[in-house]
Amino acid sequence: MAVRLRAVAVLGVLLAVGSMGCSAKKKGAAAGAAGGGVGEEGLAAGSSLERYKQGTLGTGEEGPLKDIHFAFDSAELDEQARGILRDDASWLKDHSKAKVEIEGHCDERGTVEYNLALGTKRAGAAKEYVVALGISADRLTTISYGEELPLCHEHNEECWQKNRRAHFVILGE
Amino acid sequence: MRRMWWTLLVISLVMAGVRASDAQVRGTIFGPGARSYPVAVSPLRNLSESGAAANFGTQFADIVSADLNLSGFFKLLDRAAYIEKPETSGYTADGINFDNWSVIGALALVKGAYSVSGDNVTAEVRLFDVYQRRQLAGVRYHGPLGELRRMANKFADEIMKQFTGERGPFDTRFAFVSTRDGKFKELYVMSPDGGDLQQVTTTQTINVSPSWSPDSHLLLYTSYKRGNPDLYVADLASGRDVLISSRPGLNLGGRFSPDGSKIALTIEDKGNADIAVVDRGGNLLRRVTDSWAIDVSPSWSPDGRRLAFTSNRSGAPQIYIVGVDGGEPRRVTFSGTYNTSPAWSPKGDWIAYVSRADGGFNLFIVKVDGGDTRQLTQAAGNNEDPSWAPDGRYIVFSSSRTGREKLFVTDLTGASQVQLTRGGGDDSSPAWSRWLE
Repeated sequence: MAVRLRAVAVLGVLLAVGSMGCSAKKKGAAAGAAGGGVGEEGLAAGSSLERYKQGTLGTGEEGPLKDIHFAFDSAELDEQARGILRDDASWLKDHSKAKVEIEGHCDERGTVEYNLALGTKRAGAAKEYVVALGISADRLTTISYGEELPLCHEHNEECWQKNRRAHFVILGE
Repeated sequence: MRRMWWTLLVISLVMAGVRASDAQVRGTIFGPGARSYPVAVSPLRNLSESGAAANFGTQFADIVSADLNLSGFFKLLDRAAYIEKPETSGYTADGINFDNWSVIGALALVKGAYSVSGDNVTAEVRLFDVYQRRQLAGVRYHGPLGELRRMANKFADEIMKQFTGERGPFDTRFAFVSTRDGKFKELYVMSPDGGDLQQVTTTQTINVSPSWSPDSHLLLYTSYKRGNPDLYVADLASGRDVLISSRPGLNLGGRFSPDGSKIALTIEDKGNADIAVVDRGGNLLRRVTDSWAIDVSPSWSPDGRRLAFTSNRSGAPQIYIVGVDGGEPRRVTFSGTYNTSPAWSPKGDWIAYVSRADGGFNLFIVKVDGGDTRQLTQAAGNNEDPSWAPDGRYIVFSSSRTGREKLFVTDLTGASQVQLTRGGGDDSSPAWSRWLE
């Protein structure tokens, strides 16, 4: 059930983005004006999977909620990640109707299936921390894309570090 | 997969007497990866008056040659060196001048003939021992011309049986995912010789982890086509595609039990991956693991009573074995800090897996009791996704040793590693079917 609801929510956002085209910007700007600079990013930011389909993955994802990063084969939150999550939680407190999908991602090294499980763990760790900071769990869904949707395609640590991330997608408010 | 209606008759052959597998060649001249046994595979002679299906005989020889090349046992002799021309020479022991074959170094010889009637073909193919000047095996195939590939793969299996005592693994299919036609991993199937490629999915989304049903008719795979990583089964013959498991979160790496009645998969519980067994309709039969750690990638023992899987419960991913009915998992791998992707041999003796070693990821096999670890690939790109041939003597895997990921087949020593796919895109997650009938 939760899956279906989430799918509908994502689809809703995608349809909005896809069908509105240029007008999305206008509407976003209007929403932004009313909602304190939120609307435009929220509407424009699709899931990483949708962005990959559109050829826009890695460009302009930066919304009000920042990515966090992980060490290889780890879902532990370091101090930097926790700091970012505290900022994210405070944004979510200020935008109490916003719902968010947290995506877990991995670098290319290792096994596809294991990395899908590790991505689940990363998204779950981020969710758990944000919930501990007082954000209702039912505003947060998670999904793992494992190593399937890298932001960066070179085979070096600099690139891998960017790809080992939890990414926040605002589904709607 | 379409049911075969063509018939296969083992003709008169294996002319009484000693089989090659009893002869001196077995175990002496032959060693895995030795590529020591010189064989000539002559194009089949066309007996039809008309020029219909003029390429059949050459294609048959090409496929048999590709299969034998994968086996690592044979040295395929260059066709340009053949003295006897297929269109004019005999194809039975009486009609062959064996001196023409021994002089070019052949110890084994494949010859045959075919005739076409409408859309059907009848082919007689024979395997000869050149030195002893006698037939070792002969098979008559009759069926649609479109079944060329299966006939040739079956004959390659027969050759393997004659020389090694065990049927070869070529009358089978590979499933794999590839980005050859776009940016998404789509599902494909192909013949072990590399031919007969078919695209199974055109979903334009992420598809991972294909695996076969025991009857080789169905493919389980995980797809994001509805947004969540759900488990589907594709029926290759009908094109039907059915959702099996769509639990929130992961529905990953489904594997049919050896009797086909159940499916082991990875599901998600409280943000963590665990192993479960469901029926063919996706209904939960039992949770096999329930730990805080990542448990993923189940692989059935051949008797269907145990599962090998990957778990990071020790702090890093290692291979474990657990009874399907639960119990305390037993750790199998103790060397290396990153061991994943267990694949239980159909013979039951080995578990293949991937280990982070030598600066990359490499293929290993280990005995089920944890002993006798062997490294099959060495520091040539990343070597991953092992899947066993039904005869338990070969493993197909993906490797980035040439740049992009491509499929390779190795024997159990690593001495023979043959590249199977080429071209653009990445090919990965191969799954070797059982024999087709």
